[in-house]
Formats: sequence, structure tokens, C-alpha cells
Amino acid sequence: MTTDQLTLAPAPPSEAAERVRLEVRQFLAEELAAGSFSTHVDTWLSGVDPEFSRKLGARGWLGMTWPKEYGGHERTAQERYAVTEELLAAGAPVAAHWIADRQSGPNLLRYGTEAQRKEILPRIAAGECYFVIGMSEPDSGSDLASIRTRATRNADGDFVVNGAKVWTSNAHHSHYAIVLVRTGPPGEGPRGKHQGLTQLLVDLSLPGIAINPIRILDGGHHFNEVVFSDVVVPGDMLLGTEGAGWHQVTAELAFERSGPERFLSTWPLLAEFGRRAAATQDPAQLATLGRLSSRALALRQLSLRIAAALDRGELPDIPAALVKDVGTTFEQDVVDEVRRVADVPASLDSPDPLGRALAEAQLHAPGYTLRGGTNEILKGIVARGLGLR
Amino acid sequence: MASDQDLVVETVREILHGHEPFVLTAERSWDEGLWAALADAGLTGVGLPEEAGGSGGELADAVAVVRTLAAGAGAVPVAEQLLVAGPALVAADLDLPSPDEPLTVAFEGTVAAEPSDDGDGPGRFVLTGTATDVPWAGVARHVAVLATPPAGIEGAVLAVVDASGLTASRAVNLAGEPRGSLVLDGVGVPGALLDPARAAQLRARYALARAVQISAALQQVLAWTVQYAGERVQFGRPLGKFQAIQMELAQMAGEVTATAALVDAAVQALGRGEETLPLAAAAAKVRAGEAVERVAKLAHQVHGAIGFTQEHRLHHLTRRCWSWRDEAGSELTWSRTLGAALVAAGPDDVWPAFTAVV
Repeated sequence: MTTDQLTLAPAPPSEAAERVRLEVRQFLAEELAAGSFSTHVDTWLSGVDPEFSRKLGARGWLGMTWPKEYGGHERTAQERYAVTEELLAAGAPVAAHWIADRQSGPNLLRYGTEAQRKEILPRIAAGECYFVIGMSEPDSGSDLASIRTRATRNADGDFVVNGAKVWTSNAHHSHYAIVLVRTGPPGEGPRGKHQGLTQLLVDLSLPGIAINPIRILDGGHHFNEVVFSDVVVPGDMLLGTEGAGWHQVTAELAFERSGPERFLSTWPLLAEFGRRAAATQDPAQLATLGRLSSRALALRQLSLRIAAALDRGELPDIPAALVKDVGTTFEQDVVDEVRRVADVPASLDSPDPLGRALAEAQLHAPGYTLRGGTNEILKGIVARGLGLR
Repeated sequence: MASDQDLVVETVREILHGHEPFVLTAERSWDEGLWAALADAGLTGVGLPEEAGGSGGELADAVAVVRTLAAGAGAVPVAEQLLVAGPALVAADLDLPSPDEPLTVAFEGTVAAEPSDDGDGPGRFVLTGTATDVPWAGVARHVAVLATPPAGIEGAVLAVVDASGLTASRAVNLAGEPRGSLVLDGVGVPGALLDPARAAQLRARYALARAVQISAALQQVLAWTVQYAGERVQFGRPLGKFQAIQMELAQMAGEVTATAALVDAAVQALGRGEETLPLAAAAAKVRAGEAVERVAKLAHQVHGAIGFTQEHRLHHLTRRCWSWRDEAGSELTWSRTLGAALVAAGPDDVWPAFTAVV
């Protein structure tokens, strides 16, 4: 029936997850006390700190679910979930390794060659190797299958790549991109353009790659345009199967869309607001805190269910789209709802930490419902899950 | 997830099949025939221990019965009996009336309890005052009343009242379900003292029961709306082929799915023991109430004018959901409770308090 595709089994309770959660809390309290980072909103985009990433790697908190032979720690999805949500809630600087740990590593585990896994995964797990997503292009946003970046094989069997990718977060700090390219012609019919697409593992230090900054609303440099001009990518850097890029991307997006970063980007603002409500004990503020928290609790339960499903080897792409739609809407609503009951002007220069958190959250807000698939695209996927298209 | 409860769900559905929902009126304010059929099948005692006179089974079975009846707009006090009053009486060692006779709750009003001096010994109280907003007042044979304890004692008195001799004032909720008052004029009844924590847990149980009903009803509303959008043709296409309608249905699905996840988790918290229940139930009730706002609005929008009539089935669930969100504590009441609890541990500990809720 209609809603079956949206229903997932509850995640089993995990004592191991609660244990590692307390370890992470302790670590974060010590790091905060030592001044090694300060709390910010949306740090999985903006908080690049390789030293912090290496500390997490040293504690075994990256590549947590991967096999030990690839530098992983063979822990459960719930344990990884606890670690990631603690880091996000604290507003810790996790952007450097975030993409590699969340989706590039799992993608390599699923589709990579043995050589690729042995070479790269241990470095990701150590917090030393960072990835960017090479999907969107200047003329291809929501219509991802219309990408024009091309790769052709030369006489040596290597790929020669030409084209440009945009919104590549932190490419200027990263080592690899997983680039979706067209290697063959599209097929017939409405889904024909899904054919002929391929994922390549591209070393960002290769000749012919230019990385140009694109600044977001608060002036921050996280996004880039990455231009490929006759870049020669060795043939053994093909990821997965030539021509199966669309299928592989779909799998990757289930990881990309369902994690706690899809509803916790503005948690540091909510935590700051909680401090305010604790001080004022204002009933309207307490009610807003309670209402927003109930929404976040629901999202957390959904997201945990998806983590457990991914752990079971399922591909819950439709629930993942739903979590991201509902979750990122929530992230934006936090800004609006807090403003309604806390009369604090938003400013990055505010002497009030709540004013600064509001400013950061507001200036980042348009991105929440765009990145990783716009909410309109996500609703379309949910509608497909309902059997409407 | 009801895989272990499939049989019970199927049985309730079969019974519901012979009892279509109808517009409740003063003359016909509940579905007596449905109740009798459920009682005959032992379904009005599910989850209540056999030694207390119930039918046995797990909490999950009772929840499955309640969910199925909520989705079917069954006008019977099953949620009150199976999830709130029944378990509360059992937990307090009070005699459970026969599950064949409807039992409800009365948690609002001005009822005060004094120890009885009628010579029947401890565990008897005299109740005086008015119980208000009593679900199924005038229908339920017995009422589990939460009363103010004697002066100097904290908590509440839980007492069982035989309502057959009482007159209920007529008041109904938006769906026509009886929600009247009962005047208790020095009635001597069996009762038990609950400490403040147990009293709070009981109120939370009531809120969670309503959240369970809302969650199940909204899932049905979504299914009906998707079905209608697939059947209704305008401009030569089913409504569901229009992108604007798809966006609305996807939004409904988001609300319904998120609510179900939290309500399920709160039910599991209840299954593990009641200590962690109040905040989990508070969060579930708030989330469910918020979902009603958007889901009912969009369901009616997609259904168009026919859904705005009593001829169409949609109102049986939307009117109930609009009432259930107010009952057992509204979003405002419970969100204040939840917010206050989240900051109670200290200004820097909202996050640890949040992750401990459920």
C-alpha cells in the first residue's frame, strides 16, 4: 500500500552507542575547555579543522562501521550515529572529513576496487584524507542527469575529463573528488539520460584542475567551482562500473540525505536559545523550546531508523528523501520560531551569543533546503514512494 | 511495526467492517454494537492481565487494537480502557471492572478525595466535586477518577467510580464524542494514593494514548487522500499527477511518518517502564498535535468540496484529530512541560536532556 515504502523498523536500543556517546561528550567538553574550537552553527559545512579531524580519527570515531582491514572499527551504525550527532550538537569543526566519512568512504566500500579501498579508506579513517562531491554543475542542479562534464578514454585507457562542477564544498581543502561524468550517450525514453553516466575517483592535485572560490551569503569560502581541462585520470580510478553512475549516485544519496546533519545544522542556535529560556523561564520561550524539540525528537527517531536500515544493507532512498525534506525545513524553522519569542537582533558582531547564533543560522539558512537535493526534488521522490509517479 | 500484531489487527478490522462510522448524535452517541462485538471477541481486555479479568497479551497488542479502531473511527472508549484506565487500576492494585463494560478516565475538574469513615477500612475514599471533560461521560459504566488528595498529602487519589447512578451533562467534542461532566456528591469508592511521579505518569499515559490514536488516524487520512488523488480526474488527469498536489501529499507523508516514528518510540519507552514516560509522551503528543494541523488541512484541500461534507468519510477522522489534539493536554501544555524539563538540568545541558527523552 501507499505508505509501506515510508515505514521502517524501529532502531534497536544500543548500550554501546550510549557508551561512546558519553566518551564523545567528555572529549568535546575537554576540547572546548582547552579552547581548541568554539561552537558555531552549520559546522559540517563551515568548520574545517584538519587537526580536529585527525583527533577524531585517532580516537576511532571516523570510518567507524567499516571493516578493520580498511582502517575501520566494525562498530554499528547506531554507534556512529551517536558520535556524529554529539559532534553536530556541540557545533564542532567537522567539515574537513565530513563528506569522506559520510558518503565517499561507504561508496568506495560498496563499489571501489581492492586497491582503491586499501589506498584510501585507512587515510579517511585516520582523519587525513578529505573528499568532495562532484555532482552539480553550472547548468545542472536539480536535473542532475543533464550534466555535461565528459570523460573519454585515451589510447592508454585513461579518462580525459573536461567540464566543471560547482558547489563543491571545501574542494580547496580536499584531496579527492568523486566526479559524475558522462562517458556514453544517453538511451531512449524519459529515463534514458540515466544511462552513460560514470563515477570517477579524481585526485584534486592532478594537472588541469582549477579550483575557484564561490562565497556564500556571510562571505565564507566553502563552495567552489572546480574546472577540469583535459585532466587525465588514470583508468584504474574508475569507481564501480562504467555506465552505472546513476545507480551508484542514488545509493550514495541515501547516506547523504538521512543523517543527523539534516536536522541538527541549527542545533547550536537552539542550544543557545535553551540557555536563554533557562534564564528567563519565560513560558512562551519554554513552549517554543519544547515544540521545536518534539520536532527534532521525531526526526531523530526517523533518522535512527534509516541508519539501522543502511546497516542491514537496505537502500531506504525514499525515507531518506523524506527525512531531509522534513529535517531541513525544521532547521530553517528554528530561526523563525526563536525570533518570534526572543527579541534579539541577529548580528555576527552581536555581544549576545544568541544574536550571533541567529545571524549565522539565518545567513546559512537558504542552503539547508537546497544542498543534497532541493526539497522540491525530495518531495517528488516521496511522491514516487506514494505511488503517484 | 505490527508484524506480531497482525492477527489482532485483522480481527479488529473484520469487526469494524460490519460497523461503519456514523455521525454521532445525542440519541446515538457511541457505537454500542461495535463495543459488544469487540467485547465478545475479548478485545476490550487486550493487554490487561488475565488474573485481573483481562484477556492478557502485550502492550503492543493493546496499541494495535487502539490504532486500528482509531483509523476506523470506532466510536468506543477502547483507548481509555486499554491504554489508560485499565493499566492504571491494575498497577494501583484496584479491582478492574469487567472489561466487557466500558471504562473511562476523568482527570480534569475539581474532584477532591477524603478518606472514608464508612467503616470499610483503608483504600476507600469519598469523592466530592465535578469531573469535567470526561471522555464518554454517560456511556462508560465505570470511571477512573484522578482526584485531589486530602490536605497535606502530595500526588493524587486514583478512584474507581460506578457511573451508572450518575447523570452526565451533555457536551461533545468536535467529532460528537461525549465529553461531558460528572457531579460526584460525596460518593464512597475504592481508591489508592498515587505519589506525584505516578500521577504524572498516568497523565502522560493519557496523552500518549491520544497521540497513538492521532498517529493511526493520520496514517489513514494520508492513505485516503493518496487514494482519492489517484481516482479523481480533472483536466483529463488524476489529481495525483499534478505536481502541486504531489508536493502537498509529500508534505503530508513527512508529517505522518515523523509523527509515527516518535509515537512508536514513546510507546516503546512505556513498554520499558514508566519512569521515562512523561517527557516521551509529552513530545509525542506535541508532535502529533502539530501534525494534525498540517495533515488535516491538506487532506481537506486535496479532497475538495466533497471532503467538506458529512456524506464523505474524511470528517470522521479529521474532526476526531482536531479534538484529540486538544484532549489530555494540548501542544501548548505539553510543550511547556517539555521545554521546562529540558532546561531543568542546567542551561548548558539542554542537549543531554534532549537525548534522554526517548
